[in-house]
Amino acid sequence: MRTASLTSLAAVLALGVALPAIAAGNTITGNTVGPDNAPKTLTFRMTTDGPRNNDPAVADGYGKLFREYVARHPGWKVELQMMSGDIGQEQARLLEQAKSGNAPDCAAVDSFVLPLFKKSGVLQSFAPYFNKDEIDQLFPFIREGITGTDGKIYAWWWATDLRVLYRNKAVIAEAPQTWDDTKTAALASVKQGMEGILFNGGRFEGTTFDWLANFWAEGGKLVDDAGKPIFGEGENRAKFVKAVDYYRGLVESGAAPKRVATIGNYDDFNAAAAAGTTALFVGGNWQLAQLKSTLDAGDFANWTFSMLPGPTKEQRSTGTGGWTVASFSKDPAKVEMCANLAREIYMGPANALQEQLPTRADLYDKYPVFATEANKAFAAALKVGQARPGAPVYPEISNQIQIMMGKVLTGSQPTEAAVDDAFKAATDAFKRL
Amino acid sequence: MTTAIATVAHAGALARRRQTRPRVAPWLLPLILVLGLFYLYPVFDVFRLALTRATLLGEEGGYTFATLTQTLARPEIPGILGVTAIFTLASVFSQQLFGLAIALVVVRGEKRRLFGTTIVRTTALIAWVVPGIAGGIIWKMLFNEAPFGGLNSVLRMLGATPVQWLSDPDLVMWSVVMSNVWRGTAFSMVVMYAALKAIDPVLYEAAAVDGASAPQRLFHVTLPQLRSAILVNMILITIQTLNTFDAIISLTGGGPGRSTEVLSLYTFNVVFRNYDLAGGAVLSILMLVISLGLALVYAAFLPKGEDR
Repeated sequence: MRTASLTSLAAVLALGVALPAIAAGNTITGNTVGPDNAPKTLTFRMTTDGPRNNDPAVADGYGKLFREYVARHPGWKVELQMMSGDIGQEQARLLEQAKSGNAPDCAAVDSFVLPLFKKSGVLQSFAPYFNKDEIDQLFPFIREGITGTDGKIYAWWWATDLRVLYRNKAVIAEAPQTWDDTKTAALASVKQGMEGILFNGGRFEGTTFDWLANFWAEGGKLVDDAGKPIFGEGENRAKFVKAVDYYRGLVESGAAPKRVATIGNYDDFNAAAAAGTTALFVGGNWQLAQLKSTLDAGDFANWTFSMLPGPTKEQRSTGTGGWTVASFSKDPAKVEMCANLAREIYMGPANALQEQLPTRADLYDKYPVFATEANKAFAAALKVGQARPGAPVYPEISNQIQIMMGKVLTGSQPTEAAVDDAFKAATDAFKRL
Repeated sequence: MTTAIATVAHAGALARRRQTRPRVAPWLLPLILVLGLFYLYPVFDVFRLALTRATLLGEEGGYTFATLTQTLARPEIPGILGVTAIFTLASVFSQQLFGLAIALVVVRGEKRRLFGTTIVRTTALIAWVVPGIAGGIIWKMLFNEAPFGGLNSVLRMLGATPVQWLSDPDLVMWSVVMSNVWRGTAFSMVVMYAALKAIDPVLYEAAAVDGASAPQRLFHVTLPQLRSAILVNMILITIQTLNTFDAIISLTGGGPGRSTEVLSLYTFNVVFRNYDLAGGAVLSILMLVISLGLALVYAAFLPKGEDR
């Protein structure tokens, strides 16, 4: 009897020890991956695309990838640093730290600020660590984005994204192809008790980026080859005003609620879709997976997406962004480890783990997850994708577009005056840089 | 001879006094070093940066007064200052008013041994403890103009028309002020509560003997006794309000347009969105000058010497 009790107690204790370990799986809870006594350390500053992802399954998946990476490189450990959600501020801080020589060895750099980092000369070249075949497989706009003026690559852009038009098929059967179609479809949804079309219109980078596809679809250009703002001059101004008036018309006709001027978060669209208050919104490709996990299966089956509408059926575009990995270290061994981290964790495995669109054409065939109809459609839409201009003045242009959009959508300033104000402010900022 | 002896004696006394007088420099040195290193040097560096063309992207490019004049001459500055003035005045006045009102209610409740005074104090303090970013997010959910938004849902249930809390450029500032007052009132309440507790009860007894009514006691006893506390509180909450940007950035981001872009948020945007370090330094000095100016104005009304 006593032996049985002791055995039971031992079994319970063993389970008590084992269960947390089983539950924890590959999850990394500390700040270091690898043996504490490893002689060499690579500091890596990351976003939530890493072991700190809010989704336990994704965090666990990254944990496994990081552990395997460290195991392949004996003598190394990785010290993890986490960025906050304010990406603009985080990237500015990273740039300042890099200029003063205090940046981490390796870090996630947002693709839209990569030109600033390149211009500042703080990035170390990855050219010795990626072969020509790997670089040639990158989409042209990706390759161009990471290449410096000397022809060498200075980061590895591992994931991209794009904007599409989501719609509830039960309310809007046909995908709107043009701006006029969109207004008509949105007004039809309003008649059925919906809010109309939703899009970002607040003080938020997404406001600029999502809307720019409309300007680009007309063939508009924000800056010239020297990086000088030109969106307020000549033909570009006319195209710019026309694209802004498209959004203004949506609000003034009631096809979009005035509250779009306050939206600065893609999650608001998921919430509206879940609440059944909208049938149409401009969102990112990553939201398809979010809708799938938010909505019940029946509701999710009603949701689909299509390319962003253009001024005509033929004139289409979409904004493409994404994240890169870059190195700031003066130690070549650390730069190589950073390049290895980009290749072994992010270039492919992380794409598959999070269903984030790869930047290499061959990876779409390599991973079955990208063989779905949805991901094929996203990949096809990338063909009209356009990245934000690699000009140091872009962040201020974006800031001015956000300010302009707020004035236009709330009706507090005529479109042309608001556009001219934005252009003047962007031009002044260009002169200061 | 007598004079000489007196002189020697005086010198001896001075020497002894010198020997017994504590040497203050070694004691003050750590404080001076800490203040200099962590407070004065950053301030000095801000003034230095304001005289350069420093950006987060390039070099400082020598010293110049051009940054100072060009930054202050930007066309958006008057509008930003106007928004800042409305936000600060409305927030400071409301926080002072509500802080005093809650403190009066709490003190009165305590005198009458009413239940719940501690709950009232604690509840008000919870808002103060909430970080600005979190407060902004909470109010954003409440002000959300979607059909499922917090306050508008309540209004709909009551049969009232929904309000465009954040998308109406004429209303959005008052929504922002409301959220800031919600958060900042607790501080004023604590200061006023402490000051009210310090008023000598004999004054109220004398007023009661003279037959003073409640409003008369408030205006002729309480408020005069609170004068110093009110002015000090005004200085502190004015500086706090001028520096507020975390709650606004998470609530409106400064929009729509520039409707709620206060000077602190504009400075943040200039440095972290426009990468203009020198321009941000100029704006920081402007904030410093405004804060100091207002503090001096308040200080001029503080009771001096025998007035206390």
